Amino acid sequence: MSPLTRREVLKLILAGAGAALVPWPRQGTVVAQTASLPDVVVSKGASPVAITEAAVQALGGMGRFISRGDVVLVKPNIGWDRSPAQAATTNPEVVATLVRLALAAGAKEVKVFDNPCEDARRCYVSSGIMEAAKKAGARVSYMDDRRFRKMDIKGEALKSWEVYQEAVEVDKIINCPILKHHSLARLTMGMKNLMGLTGGDRARFHWQLDQALTDLAAFFKPTLVVLDAVRILTANGPQGGSLKYVKQLNTVAAGVDQVAIDAMGTRLFGITPAEVNLLAVAARRGLGRMDLGKLRIKEVKANS
Amino acid sequence: MTTLLSSHVVPTALLLSLITVAFTLVFGRVFCGWVCPLGTLNDCMGRLTPARRRKEYGGEQARRLKYYGLIGILVSSLFTLQIAGLADPLSLLIRSLAMAVEPAVNLMVNTLFDLIYRADIPVVTPLAETVYSFLKDYLLSFRQPFFYQGFFFGLIFAAVLAANLFRRRFWCTALCPLGALLGFITRISPLKRAVGKGCTSCNICVRACRTGAATDVKGAWRKAECVVCGECQEECPKDAVRFGLRTTKGKVAGIDLQRRGLITSLVAGIFIPPLIRTHPTTQRRKGRLIRPPGALPEGEFLRRCVRCGECMKVCLTNGLQPALFEAGLEGIWTPRFDFRTGYCQYYCTLCGQVCPTGALTKLTQEEKARTKIGLAYIDKNRCIPYAQGGECIVCEEHCPTPDKAIKFEQVEIATPQGRRRIKRPVIDLKLCIGCGICEYKCPLHDQPAIIVTRLGESRAGELLPF
Repeated sequence: MSPLTRREVLKLILAGAGAALVPWPRQGTVVAQTASLPDVVVSKGASPVAITEAAVQALGGMGRFISRGDVVLVKPNIGWDRSPAQAATTNPEVVATLVRLALAAGAKEVKVFDNPCEDARRCYVSSGIMEAAKKAGARVSYMDDRRFRKMDIKGEALKSWEVYQEAVEVDKIINCPILKHHSLARLTMGMKNLMGLTGGDRARFHWQLDQALTDLAAFFKPTLVVLDAVRILTANGPQGGSLKYVKQLNTVAAGVDQVAIDAMGTRLFGITPAEVNLLAVAARRGLGRMDLGKLRIKEVKANS
Repeated sequence: MTTLLSSHVVPTALLLSLITVAFTLVFGRVFCGWVCPLGTLNDCMGRLTPARRRKEYGGEQARRLKYYGLIGILVSSLFTLQIAGLADPLSLLIRSLAMAVEPAVNLMVNTLFDLIYRADIPVVTPLAETVYSFLKDYLLSFRQPFFYQGFFFGLIFAAVLAANLFRRRFWCTALCPLGALLGFITRISPLKRAVGKGCTSCNICVRACRTGAATDVKGAWRKAECVVCGECQEECPKDAVRFGLRTTKGKVAGIDLQRRGLITSLVAGIFIPPLIRTHPTTQRRKGRLIRPPGALPEGEFLRRCVRCGECMKVCLTNGLQPALFEAGLEGIWTPRFDFRTGYCQYYCTLCGQVCPTGALTKLTQEEKARTKIGLAYIDKNRCIPYAQGGECIVCEEHCPTPDKAIKFEQVEIATPQGRRRIKRPVIDLKLCIGCGICEYKCPLHDQPAIIVTRLGESRAGELLPF
């Protein structure tokens, strides 16, 4: 974790001041602009902080997604007891940057939590996410068993399921998964990451994984998805553990369309969207678009 | 101590206990009176009995019991049987607190606050939640612990505490083997208790004494029973009682053992080890008896483990559980993995860090990742891809070994809906470390389709077919 540089602090102050100065009915202007905004931004550069900032900026800035007073959930993947270098969990700097941007955009509170596959204490610490997100001002909490409620998902595979109440109560969800190999889904990205907001016997999702994940994506509808591809896990996912399967891409992809971002993830990984069945299922259900050829994709380079 | 006798090695914790021995050599059983946490608890409980209902201490017979017990334990430890931990006050206390009291209190508090949380009463619930989050942060367990036999540990502990209502410090005077050991040691100590001329034989000190050690001017002080609490000195209206190292006055009573009891305990000490070891597990250990990583080879492990339960208390996943008869009677309350309750976390090395006797060695993360505690096997009659041709990758997904001890084979199978390709898990026994996460996470909870047995564990050093 690198501490804030002076440049970043100045940027922050400027962003804060900018957000405060923007005239009140800015919603309208933003909506007018979205027409020309890209569907997917792919941001590359050496600094995870800078590329995350640049990606959000290219989408119209965090102000487009977060309104003053919002309670925001930044949902990283903290699924495993692995270090950032092992690329099984979201890059902590990407998470921290999103927390910081959301707060700067006027969020009242930014929460960070996940329902890991292993002991939460080890995962939160090993991944570096707890420390980084707390430093950035987020309220990082372990999920509390009592707060899972059986809710109507009204999906095709999941009619109802245990969902974390706080995840439903927040105003906005920023989904920030990591791009990595998954033995069943082929890749795990944004839609798969939403599993971390559910409880119950999640292992049973795997029996009809694509339908279940589509149901979850339709249920949670994150406001923004930022896919971390700073380091990706190319094999033995989702847990990895060996550095020989880790590839440094120094990239994040961001956008609103959950299917489009995951489709972009397949390209970054080096395969095609057609190879991930979940995308076809989700696109068929009208959740988003998977045809990369028809999407407006903007590439930005960020140098810190 | 018994670890030393039974395994002929000196664990570091034993060196620390030499401090206690040194103190006892000079000042008598100060450990029992001033340090021992179980003794303190016994004292607290003892206060609950009103003075007028207290029983006088007459029971010489009861006091002898602990010496006989100790002799039995020491002799059997000479024959390499380690059972001191069953009755050692510190083991007993830690075991009871960790596996009975704490889980029960935790469950009670959680249930209470859950009720208030669900009732969602204005003002009350938010207030209760503030208290709860404080408790959760500082006092309660991160996750509710569950232990086999917790109920029995609780009963034993309750009995030890309740005995104080019958006679104060009953445990310490009649049963505690550590008390007996320190009692033996006090015989060399120069400590004296002198009762001066002022004594009117009012017997206030005798009544005040919680261990039946104090006497008036005529009687002989039972030094081996005295825990040097100083109550007799405090209570004496004539200020006639004095403790000192240099005083030569004061009659001292020795430990009065009877020949019959002595012989019985010696004989018991000799015969208990072989008798206990007539259990078949002595010859061949059960396949499902899986020890924590870093455990010494089974024989050595049993000789060292004092059953304090520390490893089970710190186990992150609650997977370490006390054995009952899985390891024979000899292995009662030793740690074993129960992969239905928890599993061995890949990078965790806590159990080895807390083991006080070295029965579990301290491992680095790298050593831990190489240590096999068993091997996993698939039950193809139940495993979903094998038995039903369905997709399920849960064991493979959770396998923490970087190169995956659980791999897939792609096969084409015939289903009523036609032919399809599926992934089936296969196990690479070379890579498997037996951590049990696959068994724990298998979606077939009633009877997992993948189970771990002890075969292949590193500590056994057996020749294996792969």
